[in-house]
Amino acid sequence: MEPSEGLMEVSVIGGYLGAGKTTLVNHILRQASERVAVMVNDFGEINIDQALIDSRSENTISLTNGCICCSLVDGFVSALESVMSFRPKPTRLVIEASGVADPGAVAAYGHGPGLALDAVVVVTDAVRLCEQVADPLIGQTVASQIDAADVIVLNKIDLADNLIAAKTELARLNPDALLAYASHAEVNLDLLFGREIVRKSDPTSQVGTFESRSHESTQPIPRAALEALVENLPPEIQRVKGIVRLAEAPHVAMVFQLVGRNWELRALADRKNSPDGNRLVVIGPKGSIPMQWDDALSSGN
Amino acid sequence: MGDASVKIFTAKRIITMNPALPFAEAIAVRGDRILGVGTVEDLAQWGDYELSEQFKDHILMPGFVEAHTHVLAGAVWEFPYVGFYDRADPAGRTWLGCQTIASVVDRLAECERDLSDPDQTLVAWGLDPIFLTGERLVAKHLDQISTTRPIFVFHASGHLATVNSEMMRRSGIDRHTPTPGVAKDVDGEPNGELQEPAAMSLAQDGFAAIGVAMMSPNAKWNYAREARNCGVTTIADLGTTRLTMEGQLEAWRQATDDPNYPARVVVAVGHSDSGSESKDSNPMVSLAVRLRDEEETAKLRFGIVKLVLDGSIQGFTARISWPHYVKPPPGHPGNGLWLIPPEQLADIVSSYHEAGLTVHCHCNGDEAAQVFIDAVETALQRHPRWDHRHTVQHCQLTTTAQYKQMAALGMNANIFSNHIFHWGDQHASTTVGEERAAGMDACATAEREGVKFSVHSDAPITPMGHLHTAWCAVNRLTASGRVLGPEERISVAKALEACTLDAAHQLRLDHDIGSLEAGKLADFAVLEEDPFEVSPEELKDIPVWGTVVGGTSHVAGSK
Repeated sequence: MEPSEGLMEVSVIGGYLGAGKTTLVNHILRQASERVAVMVNDFGEINIDQALIDSRSENTISLTNGCICCSLVDGFVSALESVMSFRPKPTRLVIEASGVADPGAVAAYGHGPGLALDAVVVVTDAVRLCEQVADPLIGQTVASQIDAADVIVLNKIDLADNLIAAKTELARLNPDALLAYASHAEVNLDLLFGREIVRKSDPTSQVGTFESRSHESTQPIPRAALEALVENLPPEIQRVKGIVRLAEAPHVAMVFQLVGRNWELRALADRKNSPDGNRLVVIGPKGSIPMQWDDALSSGN
Repeated sequence: MGDASVKIFTAKRIITMNPALPFAEAIAVRGDRILGVGTVEDLAQWGDYELSEQFKDHILMPGFVEAHTHVLAGAVWEFPYVGFYDRADPAGRTWLGCQTIASVVDRLAECERDLSDPDQTLVAWGLDPIFLTGERLVAKHLDQISTTRPIFVFHASGHLATVNSEMMRRSGIDRHTPTPGVAKDVDGEPNGELQEPAAMSLAQDGFAAIGVAMMSPNAKWNYAREARNCGVTTIADLGTTRLTMEGQLEAWRQATDDPNYPARVVVAVGHSDSGSESKDSNPMVSLAVRLRDEEETAKLRFGIVKLVLDGSIQGFTARISWPHYVKPPPGHPGNGLWLIPPEQLADIVSSYHEAGLTVHCHCNGDEAAQVFIDAVETALQRHPRWDHRHTVQHCQLTTTAQYKQMAALGMNANIFSNHIFHWGDQHASTTVGEERAAGMDACATAEREGVKFSVHSDAPITPMGHLHTAWCAVNRLTASGRVLGPEERISVAKALEACTLDAAHQLRLDHDIGSLEAGKLADFAVLEEDPFEVSPEELKDIPVWGTVVGGTSHVAGSK
């Protein structure tokens, strides 16, 4: 059972000029275990091994691993049209926002027809972050981008002299986001993307140095029980995702997403294929997930 | 134009804007150019002529040059108008303002009856809820017009739209729609208001229809008709047309090649801020150079590149220096938005500058203006070049120190004087406060510091009309009737220069247009009254007969 069957999950990658957004896009294209479409500002910066390129046209590159790369040169709408018409259909859309864009505003498009927003990922430069935030011209832009993040990638940690200062700054600007460290933007994609987590069938499957557990049940869950679940999660747990039916509106399948300390519930856009019952998966550092993590859900019934 | 015959027009008065011969009574035209200006006797020296007394009771001026508008001004007239103020359409018909929700509904019901295809979306534009007192217009009002046809009403701000229930049904907009900007009532049901592009684009065939209309041939024609109706003979479409889109160049050529097309158009290449972070390649440079060198015709001109650096003052998105905004809305981050990373601007400007192009950069706030001025200075240090005419567009909060620096660097300004009338009261009370509002759109400072400047409407943001725009610069009256910043008022003569010769200068066309003198193109604004004779407060009320473009007359309000 796929969550959101037929919908493309959307990840927005933001961050100021030079933080490493394109490097992250290149990393995603190399590591993807699903069919990913990326929309990028500049093809020239996309660094793909020639052997992986299946075909290329003026504004599209198809890779042998099923991923595609679309240029944003003709605008967002035009790029989205070519992504949507691509077959076989990508399961995930990664949008690279421009260096001054508010990734939150770009993410608003992630709820459009056929799309389901997953998370806003903001890449930051561990070397320049503090200086950028203090800059009278761009400080507010950088801070607003960080504020919009569900996931922050603190990049270039190998080059940074004062990682603690950068961490402190990020904690001040957005204490709720999931923080991932990286050099050369090499991040475990399971931290960025929700879909893979839900797909794991083994309730204690290993994902890198992380572990995950799942919850499955049939009775609709009272909203208060879900809130209690979130309330009782150990602080190390950064990611929960799945589909639930709420006791208050049992006829609508809802997507539940928790990233960092932010969580949301939204209706599953594809109602026709919506699954019955509840299915949630939690991910956290190895050893951080209590066996009874989902007790609140059962006691609510 | 191979026509060798000479036509001499006489007029009640000819205002030439040529300081060496400021006024005359006759002007001779051969082909599309001015053969001479003076008396009929003077002009007879050029041989046989046909005397036209068509304009003997009119005032002739150089055709106005509007250096900052958008072809969208023509596209919106594909759809009915439901704004608050009366507004004339390109055919010259005045659409009365809709001053209540009931009148908006009546106007739309009337238009709905005219649509034959029951599935066609009814699109309208110009709604400005700030002016409509009482309840806010929402889906239930539009449902009175139709429950089976989708309706999309685009607001004047360009940031909002209101749709009816059928549009929501067809677009799958309901209480569960998570998109930010889908406004919901207390019960959680969407009320029909869609805020910002992501939400507006959910309404199928609504938002997109405006984009489609903008690229249509008819929009290009209506744009020029609107210009003609207010005496404008040259319009600059600043960065709206996507020249990389197949067929757009050809569509402009086709329109402007038609002898009946009533305007010259400067189509500026929009710098596509794709956010490209590579330093060495800027594909827009070669496009702009090729257009300038290979595609120009008498009525279609290139050579200008448009950049957008910040947002708008009334939207609290312009980058303004400390102490920033007086009363920003709750949750506002304190200052506006950058649309290009400031540290990239010098490289971007340099790439166009070195190719000999002229850069026009949208800078509403003074902080944005400073970043652009500094970028021009860097470009000049890297690549010295005289007479580049790089222009600060909007230039609303530019300071005296900045005007001095602009003068030293050879820069021009295009000042958004219409703001004083349309939003001046709000600027004083809410955005930048009394002192800065009194000094905004500072034409007198630009004049004093020796910066060549024009003034503009940014149509369709405010209606095109250079007599109105000149009136704003001369009188600085706001909508409430107060004089905002009397020290920044300029003379009628200076305002007319800003609307003609100095606008042509920043488009690099002053060798061809902007004044009436031998050798220049025969482009006239034909006015019913003399701008120097009426009182300055009446400048905006002078009726416009029409224009002459390259010797061909175009009557205001005609097809």
